[in-house]
Amino acid sequence: MNMTDKSKNIVDNCRFCWMCRHVCPIGNATGLERNTARARAFGVSLVARGATELSELSDNIYECSLCGACTNNCVTGFDPKVFVREVKREIVLEGLAPAYITDLLMKHAESGNIYGAEVPGELGALACESADTVLFAGLDAWAKTPECVLSAMKLLSSSGRKVGLVTGDSGFALHFLTGETDESREAALACSKTLMAYKTVVVYDPCDLALMKHEWREWGIGTPECISFNEYLLSLVRSGALKVKKGNTEYMLQDSFAYARELDDCKSGRELIDSVGTVRDMLLIGKEANLAGHLVMAEYMPAVIEAVAKMRWRDAGNMGGENIVTECPQEYAALKATCPEGCRVLSVEEMLLENM
Amino acid sequence: MNDFLFTQILTELEDAVGRENCSVKEIDKATHSADFFWLSRMWVDRGRRMPEADFIVAPKNAEETSKVLKIANYYKIPVTAWGGGAGSQGGALPVCGGIILDTKRMNEIYEVNTEGMYIECGTGAIYKHIEWAANERGYATMHYPSSLTCSTVGGFLAHRGIGVVSTKYGKIDDMVLKMEVVLPNGDIINTSATPKHAAGPDLNQIFIGSEGTLGIITKAQIRIFEQPEERRFRGFLFRDMTSAFNASREVLQKFKPSVMRLYDEAETASLIKKIVGVAKPGAFMNVAYEGPRELVEVEEKILLSIFAKYGAEDLGSEYGEKWWREKITFFYPGHMMDIPQMFGTMDTIAPYDKIEKIYWAMKEAIETKYPFAKFIAHFSHWYEWGAMMYDRFIIDGEYVPKDPVEAMKLHNEIWTLGIRTALANGGVVNDHHGVGIKLGRMMKEQYGPAMQVFEALKKSLDPNGIMNPFKLGL
Ligand SMILES: Cc1cc2nc3c(=O)[nH]c(=O)nc-3n(C[C@H](O)[C@H](O)[C@H](O)COP(=O)(O)OP(=O)(O)OC[C@H]3O[C@@H](n4cnc5c(N)ncnc54)[C@H](O)[C@@H]3O)c2cc1C
Ligand code: SF4
Ligand code: SF4
Repeated sequence: MNMTDKSKNIVDNCRFCWMCRHVCPIGNATGLERNTARARAFGVSLVARGATELSELSDNIYECSLCGACTNNCVTGFDPKVFVREVKREIVLEGLAPAYITDLLMKHAESGNIYGAEVPGELGALACESADTVLFAGLDAWAKTPECVLSAMKLLSSSGRKVGLVTGDSGFALHFLTGETDESREAALACSKTLMAYKTVVVYDPCDLALMKHEWREWGIGTPECISFNEYLLSLVRSGALKVKKGNTEYMLQDSFAYARELDDCKSGRELIDSVGTVRDMLLIGKEANLAGHLVMAEYMPAVIEAVAKMRWRDAGNMGGENIVTECPQEYAALKATCPEGCRVLSVEEMLLENM
Repeated sequence: MNDFLFTQILTELEDAVGRENCSVKEIDKATHSADFFWLSRMWVDRGRRMPEADFIVAPKNAEETSKVLKIANYYKIPVTAWGGGAGSQGGALPVCGGIILDTKRMNEIYEVNTEGMYIECGTGAIYKHIEWAANERGYATMHYPSSLTCSTVGGFLAHRGIGVVSTKYGKIDDMVLKMEVVLPNGDIINTSATPKHAAGPDLNQIFIGSEGTLGIITKAQIRIFEQPEERRFRGFLFRDMTSAFNASREVLQKFKPSVMRLYDEAETASLIKKIVGVAKPGAFMNVAYEGPRELVEVEEKILLSIFAKYGAEDLGSEYGEKWWREKITFFYPGHMMDIPQMFGTMDTIAPYDKIEKIYWAMKEAIETKYPFAKFIAHFSHWYEWGAMMYDRFIIDGEYVPKDPVEAMKLHNEIWTLGIRTALANGGVVNDHHGVGIKLGRMMKEQYGPAMQVFEALKKSLDPNGIMNPFKLGL
């Protein structure tokens, strides 16, 4: 099996270490021993030693959400995401991907997105021609939570700023499913070409932004001047362009793992809440954020993603929280689908809109 | 087992726990074949496969567990409980195949009872998760082993585990009020409403430490405590261990610190220097005391005056605080021993009149017979009458045979020598990691004819011998 030395080193260290198992959202939801960084590394180490076949690991590799909670917990600094991505690519290149993954890849080839959805609007069709600032909604958000994207546009238009909308495929889903392959790079390249036409790109989904800031750069793909949706909203609130009212409502923030861990932003969401209400925290926040949903994984392991979201509702309930605010469409969808009676899930834009 | 019978049993197990909770996949079998036991790690590191279970089964509760045990008893196939698989004695290894009963679906936290001061939970709960549940309500479990994040409530009960604040709050056997246990024949029993009674022997204590050989613990009520108003640390350097033992015994006649850790000169010069930064020669000791502020003030005075009397150098609070922050850093890869080194922890316990003697006897025995081995120790759980020694041997990779069979022989020889020396000088087979398959052979040497009590229990509760065979010397 082809693996970089960096991956081999991580595998050999993680394979007998259990220290981060308590933070794995998938392991916690399924209770399965194999849903730990150590079990995954252990399996890969057996393949590397010729003691089992790569095909035996396929399912288990796809059970990792790449949320990075383990990485964040690792005192030594090992990052199991690195070998998981490499092994995924190997699995795909060797033709060993499970059928439920190849189905998604087929859908992508046929419809341009893994959901096989008729996405509302072609790439760039909704862009406001004269705007030099655009909101970029990746295909995951646009296909699965269009209502949020439209709320975001509504909010932005109320600020008086001219912001267009561009939708497109950043390569997030393909990269998630296949690692760094020609296909994921090509998708990223096409998206980059579209976005480079704008002066400022406000990125709606933090997962897209993390990909642009890390992988796009590593792959030498041009990155436009990007700002996260949260940061952009904050600038509008601070400048008074968005006139929000502060009320008494308590909101719990579901930190996006991409913001918190990959973009080093644990503050903007809290500041946004603070501008209209009060932050009430639950367990595992900020850098330790616990995943609450995943649009791509929900396509092939919906029951697990549902259990992951329900666990987050349990965390919120334990601290008396009723309103969860999400920063990421990946989590919005799962929390919405599992919302207990008497509770609400709102995206940041929905929260601001209800406080105008 | 032939295909036909295998499939028959599989369908029955699937019926008991649900198809999705019963696996015969290679990845699941492999994942449940190596635990924290050095031999299992070495074996797979050398490209071998450890013995694997035929079925991996994850019941949700006592009822489903009961069904699994009834099936296993009927077909006379072994059942090995697996909690976190982070045990170091090979306790959870399915050495005879059969069923691995993974407890982690039994992870429900049923109740956090702040009046009765306990949490009722399934034993598959990761201990850190019940700690979080306590913390959310402003309480704490005060059971802080280094494996807090990776082991289960059931695993700690089954191995009689211990955490770093045990000197004040106790071992796991002090932490439990009541348990639900599924006996090998599938009967579901409850131990008793409370632990401290005179209604006969304490049933809790029969199952605590039984390592899955007498039944499966499925539910437990675990104590919670108020968070201390203040927790203070103080580091000390003693010129030798004898003065540290004398000083500590005297302190323990007056009050109970929460943390007490004395490192021998070798460990002070290695691990403590590396992680905590103490660079002077001597025996480093870290003490924490906690509770209401007024009491902490008084305890600090007593501690300082007694330790000064025995010549301890007061290093202030900085090292102790650093140690507290870094206390589990030691256990992450890159900070501790790892393959290709050979190593093991031979923790034992004895009264003060014997514990230091045991240390020197073990050190001499191991370092003399195996000059390439390093023997280091710390003493980290203390009582009014004695202390626990957490001693380790470490052999660098170049001295470890490449052939796994030869490596296993060397490993077992060293263990036999070490434990025999501990027993001969008044120690026990183990303090808190348990026995497993690693030390089963030493149980008869410790207990002699007393072993028949355990054997009788085993025979009557598990006449078919299906529960975790070859563990605990049973
Ligand atoms: C990094 C690290 C640090 C450690 N530090 C400590 C420490 O500070 N203190 C300490 O005490 N230990 C420590 N240990 C050892 C380990 O955590 C304990 O032995 C723990 O009790 C194992 O629990 P587990 O859930 O991982 O059990 P497993 O390894 O899965 O099983 C252990 C034994 O218990 C049995 N068992 C498990 N669940 C049940 C059940 N519900 N009913 C009946 N039998 C059951 C198994 O069959 C097996 O015999 C450490 C281990 C590691 C890896
Ligand atoms: S990421 Fe770190 S903590 Fe997690 S298994 Fe690997 S080495 Fe252990
Ligand atoms: S990246 Fe997330 S899902 Fe994957 S092993 Fe780590 S914690 Fe679990």
